[in-house]
Formats: sequence, structure tokens, C-alpha cells
Amino acid sequence: MVTSRIISGLCLIILLLLWQFAVMSGFLKPFQFPPPSRIGEAIVELAVSGFPNGERIWTHVGITLWRIIQGYVLAIGLAVPIGLLIGTIAVLDKLTLPIITFLRSVATLSLLPLVIIWFGTGELTKVLLIAYGCFWAMLSNVIAGVKYVDPVMIRAARTLDTRPLAMFVRVVIPAALPRMFAGARMALGVGFMVIVGAEMIGTIQGLGALIMEARTFYRSDITIVGMLFIGLLGFTITSGLSWLETILLPWSKGLSEVRR
Amino acid sequence: MADPARSDVAPSKIEICGVSKRYATDDPDTPLVLDNINLAIGDNEFVTLVGRSGCGKTTLLNIIGGLVESTHGDVKVNGRTVSGPGQGKGMVFQQHALFPWLTALQNVGFGCRNKGVHKAERDQIAHQLIELVGLHGFEDKYPAELSGGMQQRVAIARALATDPEILLMDEPFGALDELTRLEMQDELLRVWSAHKKTVVFVTHSISEALVLSDRVILLAARPGRIRREFPIPFPRPRKRTDPQMIALYDDIWKSLA
Ligand SMILES: Nc1ncnc2c1ncn2[C@@H]1O[C@H](COP(=O)(O)OP(=O)(O)OP(=O)(O)O)[C@@H](O)[C@H]1O
Ligand SMILES: [Mg+2]
Repeated sequence: MVTSRIISGLCLIILLLLWQFAVMSGFLKPFQFPPPSRIGEAIVELAVSGFPNGERIWTHVGITLWRIIQGYVLAIGLAVPIGLLIGTIAVLDKLTLPIITFLRSVATLSLLPLVIIWFGTGELTKVLLIAYGCFWAMLSNVIAGVKYVDPVMIRAARTLDTRPLAMFVRVVIPAALPRMFAGARMALGVGFMVIVGAEMIGTIQGLGALIMEARTFYRSDITIVGMLFIGLLGFTITSGLSWLETILLPWSKGLSEVRR
Repeated sequence: MADPARSDVAPSKIEICGVSKRYATDDPDTPLVLDNINLAIGDNEFVTLVGRSGCGKTTLLNIIGGLVESTHGDVKVNGRTVSGPGQGKGMVFQQHALFPWLTALQNVGFGCRNKGVHKAERDQIAHQLIELVGLHGFEDKYPAELSGGMQQRVAIARALATDPEILLMDEPFGALDELTRLEMQDELLRVWSAHKKTVVFVTHSISEALVLSDRVILLAARPGRIRREFPIPFPRPRKRTDPQMIALYDDIWKSLA
């Protein structure tokens, strides 16, 4: 465990050093591949004076995080009850399946022009785009989770005189939870894909906007810093979600213990 | 209903009347899994079903339990046609079928909770049963943390928790080692005689059937029908080495082959 961490840390340092030397020796162009030292300076610049127009990195991170949270919470909050309903009622599932398959296949960012016409270029547009992307990923997983409960569980519960409400609350929902968490993780991934595109219009705040502005100023070092922070943000939230899952679903730990 | 000529005979607890089963009902070409099964099981009787793999034992047990519908015929419990599972019919499945999100204790208490038994009482019942199946100390483990045999024992405790008058058990000791298996057979007989239960028990082991039951029903395959019945009149506890038992074992073995 510890040695593997030391090794992966060493690998990273060696890679960064190689990169640095490749640029210093003129093998890579600093404009295309800003060296690690340049990126470090860019981080300091973003933290102290800010970019563009003095927007500091914390503002960008905070704004992006807030937009994702709003869109994500909205999407999950809608997808869970709707998914539970559709997954439980077979007729509803049959009726909605084509619509859901169609709408979830529409790449979220392709809706951008339309959403701008409807809602302008303000905050609402960004939040709604994130929500749209997250919603379908979550919805289809909630439906599948409820629909594909192991029939053996249902049978066992029926022999124990489980009434319909208890069947739903104490069998179907717990059985569907692992799949719902998988959906929540997928939705988060979608949210991070959408955010960069959504922030490229009508704002200079947020990590997506930072990357966009950096492009117009030919600051590839800042682009990389933006990418770095988006990655870090995604990593942190995903880890938080996994942690939440081990707390809420302690029983599914043993189920995932499979090595190949 | 009342037949004066038979008034001396105790009424059957379970009556299986002309039960046939075909899984794909819309396709008459699919073979019958069960063909015209007739069987009456008395109150407090311990009946064992034996037969080769695939002969329809699980199917018959599920029909008695009200989980699977018969194609023809019906099953009566206490003179009333079975319309669904539960209601005094406890089941132990061939695969343990525990709820993975509940601990052993919560699994055992599940049925009591449905009946509105308070938590303190429920836990007490569950603790006793977990003790009975020899899993003291494993109350708070999740099914995934238990071995196959332990899971099966929790499933038995779960079926016993609501004290059902009928126990339907599908190879419940299949996953146990020989020693635990013998212990569990003794426990089951103790529970059965102490709590007055009617048991229908499926097993592949003829010697298990001989040690446990009042009657062994031998099923033939394709389609499943009753080939022969063997009453086992010996008092319990029984010894496998008893010459009469060995003779009966050979008899069943010959009919099976
Ligand atoms: N749900 C089902 N749909 C279609 N066919 C089924 C179904 N369940 C069982 N069968 C068929 O019915 C027959 C009897 O199956 P069953 O499970 O009752 O056998 P069994 O006697 O319990 O066998 P085993 O000893 O292996 O458990 C088998 O041929 C099987 O293929
Ligand atoms: Mg079977």
C-alpha cells in the first residue's frame, strides 16, 4: 500500500521532470506544452492576482461547484421519485421507454443554442443544462434498479407476509440502492462533462469560462490549470460520494469484493 | 364435505388434488413438469420429497407454498384452497434468498416485523433462533459476510421466526458439512415435535429422508409424478445403522434408479 504510493508518486515526479527538460531543451514548444514550472507560476498568478479581470481561482472553483451542485441536486431530486414511479408501474415503463431512450441520447451540449433562446445566457441556462445531462443518467438507473430487483427477494418477502407498501419500502428500494448509487456517480460524471461547455457562454467566472478566456489570450498554461482544477473537483466529489455509499450501504462492500 | 365413513381419520393439513404444471401455459407442446399429483399430508406429519434432479420437487413445493400457480388442480391447506404465499406457510429456498441489506438478526426478524411485533420482542425471538441454528456471535453480520452454510441456517431461522404451522423446506441442509447437517437434523426434529408443525422437506439424501420423515415420497421425472410412497414407521431418534433402516434404504435406492 505505502510502497505502491511511493512508486506512483515517483513516477509522477519523473514524468514532470522529463516534461520540464523536454521543453527547456527545445524539444517541445513552451507555447504548446507549457512546462510544469510555468504551470506552477500560473497557479500562483491565479491565486494572487486572478485571471481574467482579477477573478481568482477560488471564485472560479466556487462558482463552478455551485452550478454543478444546483443542477445535480435538481436532477437527482426529480429523477429519484419519477424513476421509482416508472420502475414500479410496468405500463408507465413501456410508455416512457422510447421517450427516455431518445432524450438521453441527445448530447446535452447540442441543446445549448435552443436553451439560450429559451432562457438567455444567464445562470439558469447553465444550471438547466447540467440538470438535463444528470437527469437522464440518474433516471435510467433508478428505473432499472427498481425493475430488476432479484425475483428471489420478492418471493422470499412474500412468504413472510410482506404487504405491498412494506414490499416497496423495505425490499424494492433497498435492493435498488446500489444501482441508484451507480446512477448518481454516472450523473456526476455527466455533470462535469457538461459544465465546461455550459460555462463557455455568457460568463467570465467558473472553470469553463477560465479555460475559454485562456484560449483567447493564448494562455495554454492557464488552460491546463483549469483542467487540473476540474479534475480535482470531480475527484473530490466522486470520492465523497463513494464514502457516502460505504456509510449508507455497508452491506454492499462484500458484494464488490471480486478480483480478476 | 363431512364423510361419515372417514370420520375416524384426522383431516389432512395439506391436500394436493390432481396438480399438473406446465411452465409455458400458452404453448401446449412444452412438456409437463408435474403430471396429476395427488397427495394428502396429515397434521404434524413430516413428509420428504425425493427424486432426481429436475423431476419437479421445487416446482411442487412452490405450488404448495402458493408462489407458483398450478396449471391444473389445486392445493388445499386446512380445507381452503391456497391462493398465495405466507399465511402460516414458512419457506426455506434452495438458494438461501436472504436480504443482503439486512444483518442476520434483521433477516430473522423480518417476518415478525411484518406482523407488527415490537422491536424488543422481535430481537429476542431472533436471538433465540440464531442461537438455535448455532450462529451465536454472527447476529450483526450481513449475508455477504457469512459462509454458504451459515446463510442457509439464517434462512431456516428466518422461516421459523413467525412460528408457521407449515414448513416447506427445499434442500435446506444441502450446503452444510456432514456434522453440521446431522446437528441441524436433530434441531429440526426437536422444533418439529415441540412446536407441532407440518413439514414438507425436499432432499437428495435418502438417509436424511429416512432419519427425518414419517413418509418418503419418491417422484419420477419427465413428467414428475409420484412413483412410490414409503411410510417410515420407526420411532425417533433413529439410527442409520438399524437393519430395518438399511433395508428400507436399499428399497428406496432401487426404486430411484
Ligand atoms: N421458471 C421455470 N420456467 C420454465 N421451466 C422451469 C422453471 N422452473 C423449473 N422449470 C423446469 O421444470 C423442471 C423441474 O424443475 P424443478 O426446479 O422443480 O426441479 P427439482 O426437482 O427441484 O430439481 P433439483 O433437484 O435440481 O433442484 C425442470 O425441467 C426445469 O427445467
Ligand atoms: Mg429444486
